[in-house]
Amino acid sequence: MKDLHFILLLLRKEFLLEFRTRSAISGIFLYVISTLFVVYETFIKIQPNVWNTLFWIILLFVAVNAMVKSFVQEKGNRVLYYYSLLNPSHVLIAKIVYNTLLLLVLSLLIWGLFIFFGDNPVKDIGLFLFILFLGSFGFSVTFTFLASLVAASNQSSTLLAVLSFPLIIPIILLLVKISAHALRLIQDTAVSGDLAILVAIDLLLCGVALLLFPFIWRD
Amino acid sequence: MIEKGKIWKFSGVILIVYVIIAGLLIPLKSGIESVEPSYGNAGETLKIQVTGYNTHFKEAGNSLRAWLKWENGKAIAAKEMVALDERRVDLTFSIPNNLPENTEVQAVTLLIDSEADGTSVLPSAIFLTQTEKVLTAEEVQWVKPANFSNNGQITFPFRNILGETIRNTYFHVPLWFGMMFLFLFAVIHSIKYLRKGDAESDLKAEAYTQTGIFYGLLGLITGALWAKNTWGAYWSWDIKQNMTVVALLIYAAYFILRASFEDPEKRARVCAAYGIFAFSTLIPLIYVIPRLTDSLHPGSGGNPAFGSQDLDNTMRMVFYPAVIGFSLFGFWLSSLQFRYLRLQKLREDVD
Repeated sequence: MKDLHFILLLLRKEFLLEFRTRSAISGIFLYVISTLFVVYETFIKIQPNVWNTLFWIILLFVAVNAMVKSFVQEKGNRVLYYYSLLNPSHVLIAKIVYNTLLLLVLSLLIWGLFIFFGDNPVKDIGLFLFILFLGSFGFSVTFTFLASLVAASNQSSTLLAVLSFPLIIPIILLLVKISAHALRLIQDTAVSGDLAILVAIDLLLCGVALLLFPFIWRD
Repeated sequence: MIEKGKIWKFSGVILIVYVIIAGLLIPLKSGIESVEPSYGNAGETLKIQVTGYNTHFKEAGNSLRAWLKWENGKAIAAKEMVALDERRVDLTFSIPNNLPENTEVQAVTLLIDSEADGTSVLPSAIFLTQTEKVLTAEEVQWVKPANFSNNGQITFPFRNILGETIRNTYFHVPLWFGMMFLFLFAVIHSIKYLRKGDAESDLKAEAYTQTGIFYGLLGLITGALWAKNTWGAYWSWDIKQNMTVVALLIYAAYFILRASFEDPEKRARVCAAYGIFAFSTLIPLIYVIPRLTDSLHPGSGGNPAFGSQDLDNTMRMVFYPAVIGFSLFGFWLSSLQFRYLRLQKLREDVD
């Protein structure tokens, strides 16, 4: 119960910080809109199979850009104060939850803009929403944890992309495959098996990240 | 005398020498390379020319026997056999008017047996066509191929597509096994570092990762050469090939991460954490994802699974020593690399 209390407090802190300094979040929203606009300007008409890949690739790049600053603020004197006060697992869980929610909103925004500029190729909306959540969670775990690794280096955004893209490949391959099923591009009979593997990978990464984070958090 | 602690290094080297000698020198079993023509009709007298591999048709003389065998077990023996040279033989069969199966086109297996070479089998060697049912009754001499000879030689199996490249099994596959063991040891040392904070564990993890990548590259190269000879291209965009490149990218990123931290303690901690995280994604990458899609590799997409029928007992006698030998050799390389890294660090500290 106490754990939950701390996590919620930290989550509230994340939201408050984000809304007080609105520049970062508006930057990400603008990034999404302009990317989508460029995509439609250059593609004009997007076939469903291209749509499927494009959607997840855009979400991937948006995720890197949104998540790289996760631990940038946690520097200097304030972090000393956190060390003495908080359990590192709470910090990581709060960040992961916050980033998952942020990515979920951003992915819904991307989807909405795709519908606004073109049309909606998604046939199985329930399944698609479910993998949006699983994808956001998987991306959020990987990027948040790796952002905490690279936060101390001076070229963190390049480093984050280099480290995370190969690691994210199992997740993104599964996402593209399941979402192809949601778009009815393929008839996937093993879709529940794929979903189970995706959940398993998400949980595995989350568990490993939680185990390792205490070692890198403390300086 | 050899010191106790060095025995494993010597056994690694001896095993690799054994694998190179045995793996490259033991001949392939004789086999059937091709059959010309590979089709015929019911009721005709079919003359085919068989090209063998490592065969001794002339030497076999009277002990040479040949059959065509249907899937339901019925077989006919060759009427006439003329050995042109050691590798080519002309066989004549009288194909029965009524083929024993119900389909229009029936695939038959060619069996050749001789005292000199033992038995060779080519499944689906000839496709026979029955255009209409011929009702004329005839006496067909159905036989049961039996009394196969065994020439008692130690050989590796002959597989039609693989040919001599089957020997790559002793290099390509053990290198992958070795790589996985090396990465596993790197993770163990990373965990040790996080628990104890001993700077040597960090260097060991780095050394194991470096040799692991080296083994991975060798595995990739041997695999690409093998693929060129069997699948026709160095790179076939096979899911396992792609996933291994991704695995190597993950570990290449490890070194970029190492290079981007100044403070040795911070670097060691971050790299240890990344190493463990990366290894835990390696499991879905190499073992789960390739099972989801078709692959040209054995074990997926209808290809025979590795281990059951791909390895016979002679191959096992070389394959298992190869796995152990290459792994031990990898550990030796890593310990040398570790000592080099430690000296380098000492010099930096002195400077």
